[in-house]
Amino acid sequence: MNPVVKTVSLVKIYSGGAVPVPAVRGVDLQVEPGEFVAIMGPSGSGKSTLVHMLGGLDARTSGEIWLDDQRVDTLSESAWALLRRKKIGFMFQFFNLVANMTVADNVELPALLAGVSPKDARERREHLLGALNLSERADAAPGQLSGGEQQRVALARALANQPSVLLTDEPTGNLDSRNTRDVLRLLSDVHKEGQTIIMVTHDARVASLADRLVSLFDGEIVDDGRIARRRTGTAGAVIDLR
Amino acid sequence: MSTALAGGRWIRADLRARKGQATLTVLAVAGIVAALITAVTLLEDGTNPWRNLSAQTDGAHVWLYTKDSPQVAVGEIDGVTDTAGPYRSAPVTVAQDGKKEPASLRAMSAARPLVAHPVVAEGRWLDSTQLDGVVVERSFASSLRLRVGAPFTIIALSGERHTLYVRGIADSAEQGFYPEWTPGLAWVLPTMLERIEPMLGRSEWVTGLRLADPDSAQLVSQRVVVMLEDQLQRVYTWREVRAAMELDNRLLGTLLALFGVVGLVAAALALANAAGGRVLGQLRDLATLKSLGFTGGQVALLLLVEHGALGLLGVGIGTLAGWGVAVAFLGVSVPPMPMLAIVAGTALVVLAAVGVPAWRGGRTPPIPDAPVAPPRGHLSRMARLALLVRLPPALVLGTRDAFTRRVPAFLTVFGLAVPMMMITIGLGVWSTLDGFLSHPEQVGQHASLYVKPGKLDPAEARRVAVEDPDVRAVYPGTDVNALAPGEARSVRVRALGTTGEPYPFPVVEGRMYGRPGEAVAGQGLLDLLGLKIGDRVRLTVGGSPLIVRIVGRTVEPDLDGEVLSVGLDSLAAKDSVPPEHYALALRPGADPGEVRARLLAESAESLEVQRVVNPADRLAVIRVVIVALIVVLALIGLANLLTASALGLRDHALDLAVLKAMGLTPRQVMATLVTGTGLLVVLGVAAGTAAGVSMVTGLIDLQGHTSGVGAGIGRAPSALTLTLAVLAAVGAALTVALIPARRAARAQVPVTAR
Repeated sequence: MNPVVKTVSLVKIYSGGAVPVPAVRGVDLQVEPGEFVAIMGPSGSGKSTLVHMLGGLDARTSGEIWLDDQRVDTLSESAWALLRRKKIGFMFQFFNLVANMTVADNVELPALLAGVSPKDARERREHLLGALNLSERADAAPGQLSGGEQQRVALARALANQPSVLLTDEPTGNLDSRNTRDVLRLLSDVHKEGQTIIMVTHDARVASLADRLVSLFDGEIVDDGRIARRRTGTAGAVIDLR
Repeated sequence: MSTALAGGRWIRADLRARKGQATLTVLAVAGIVAALITAVTLLEDGTNPWRNLSAQTDGAHVWLYTKDSPQVAVGEIDGVTDTAGPYRSAPVTVAQDGKKEPASLRAMSAARPLVAHPVVAEGRWLDSTQLDGVVVERSFASSLRLRVGAPFTIIALSGERHTLYVRGIADSAEQGFYPEWTPGLAWVLPTMLERIEPMLGRSEWVTGLRLADPDSAQLVSQRVVVMLEDQLQRVYTWREVRAAMELDNRLLGTLLALFGVVGLVAAALALANAAGGRVLGQLRDLATLKSLGFTGGQVALLLLVEHGALGLLGVGIGTLAGWGVAVAFLGVSVPPMPMLAIVAGTALVVLAAVGVPAWRGGRTPPIPDAPVAPPRGHLSRMARLALLVRLPPALVLGTRDAFTRRVPAFLTVFGLAVPMMMITIGLGVWSTLDGFLSHPEQVGQHASLYVKPGKLDPAEARRVAVEDPDVRAVYPGTDVNALAPGEARSVRVRALGTTGEPYPFPVVEGRMYGRPGEAVAGQGLLDLLGLKIGDRVRLTVGGSPLIVRIVGRTVEPDLDGEVLSVGLDSLAAKDSVPPEHYALALRPGADPGEVRARLLAESAESLEVQRVVNPADRLAVIRVVIVALIVVLALIGLANLLTASALGLRDHALDLAVLKAMGLTPRQVMATLVTGTGLLVVLGVAAGTAAGVSMVTGLIDLQGHTSGVGAGIGRAPSALTLTLAVLAAVGAALTVALIPARRAARAQVPVTAR
């Protein structure tokens, strides 16, 4: 099977300041369909930059990015935006729900953007929120929700268009342990349904949920291996580690 | 399509979240557009009734008054297509409801002429079977509250009373409206006029000339002057009639246009500031939108549509309102081309104002978690100064906050300064009007009553006036029309007082006349004849020359300032003895109405006593306009303020937690926030007031100069008014800033990224 995401010698150098700062230095990464990859590393190791480049939020300096067998690193910013509508779902540390829109509108927005009719978008939203146990909060403003609920809405939004790959950047970084557990369980459920996920985290307990762990250090992959599945290797086990 | 759907959701949600600000924007823009459209309607000829009246009546373009029926063929002059008249015309006084008004009774046959025929608006035209019928000019009739069928009592020069009955009320383009243009006009049958005024010597003859080309009126009237020489009493053209009809419209239009244009600049600033502030506050949401798949261009378009739509909605509402004002209050339709220009122009200004912030919003990097460029936080010089003088820490912090974002700070200060400047100018216009009322002597209205002897002997009339306890001074006077050299039109010469005891004209340049042969003039006259102080001018009054040297300029609110004022002893005796009327200056505090009643009682109703109409009374509608404009400008200022306040809160939401952690009480935190906004407000209000005060007198004088009244009438608002205005503005601003600050200071601020 062809990889969903493939990078070839991906390099990112920030040259805004006085001295060019290399953030990602020649990363070769290949993610197969249905894989759940955790990217770990200390602060400044370039993991967020890598994920941002995979989603086209940040432009690469050199190297190649392939998405679903299409070379995408050469795309313009606008073309990237159009691509994101259908192929990429994002989840961020600070949820990033549009503050003025209701929960329902936040989830319907990407579907509408992808050209789904308002009726279908509504059905899809109802289904997603129902699955995430958020049906009764549909008309609430994001500000009225707890952090965990907001992140669940963000997940629903990211999944609205059944993207090829779900990119998440520290999805539990801003949550307490209880909400962390909830969100991780959901991610795990989504993964079991076949969703490809790339998750950035600096938390080993969170990373242990994935089935592959990529360690970055100073912008280079220093370790890449499959995580041995324990028999009880579910989200519940994550909490046991405290 | 899909983007439009998704974008529509976002716009709707965002507008719902800021209803108040959006409403303010719409109202402010609507107010400005309405003001501009009203201004253009007033300035455009469409509101000038002359054009319509002239077309309806097939009006004449030149009117000439002669002692006898003109013996030469004025109709033969090149360019004259038709003549109206000559009609015999006799001066009479109309006695109506105890008032006595001057009127000119015109003989016209039952068959109306082809040219310059009055158009009957109510009732019927004269009929030879009804000898006592009279048709009254419409503005004169409405001033006298006359209806068709009402009795119309006139007093001839002989003192004889006649009662006629109003058969009809008619429009005419022959002269301006009563009471701006006196005497009033009424038509009777020739036989009736002969009965009322059998003495030919007491009447004059009026002839109207209709021209092929109205622009040649000047040339034709010069020919008339040459041909008729001594016979000619006075002559005027359609331009004077038109100018008389549009007097107040132009002033109002200019005022509205000035406020409208400056207001548009202020509104554009407020829009740019509001859109910019909103974009700054939404950078994270915009980044999120981009991460969801909006392109940069789409985000920019989204913002442009959202903020532009508010402005355009305002333009639409304003256009409707302006159009409504024009139709409902002015009774005319708005000229289409200028209206289109205004709509297109304001729409462009609106889009340009929101275009820049929208473009900037579109360029937001799509990484939502990237921290939004934090404001550079160095201590401004002012903050350092505040520290030096040991101000409370809240004030210092607020001072520092005020200037961390330079461009919004500038926009806020400027955006408040411009409305405040215009408000100051509005207050200046207001106080100028108040000045007219409280010091009428400064606009040439030292006397508040004019007494005509009527049936009494002039000396007797003077005695009655002098003996009244409230009359301080009595000035004999006569108004005559004089032909100006080369101008071929008449100007008013007002002889009032004598060189020994001159009437206190408000001389603002040069000096008062001191001996016979010297005169003072209004700006309008100086401009008309191209004269300056010190020049000698030769006029012809009823055939005899009047040669005077102009030694000063007066403030002259009457007749577009085209008035020459001399002492009675400068006129030839035939014109000045006996005086036509007496001007009465009253003791301070005396009520002109009471004095008038007393004089009438004393003289057994024989005197004609007229009260002077203060120009401020005529211009009272300006006050309404000023109030409306101040409201619109205050809205603009408020919109700016809300932006500044929201931006300040957003920038410092994080700092609040830190400030609290450092040990600032909620009250101090609130003071910090309010100081940040308040400082900008104080700066803007102070700058605007200063600019307004420095400009207002000059602007009013400029308007005075162009309207003929002359410079020297402008008054800056009093210190008390200004202080109150500044305090009200700053106070209102601080109250507005206080509410969100209070809420923010008391809220539990989570220590999270924005």
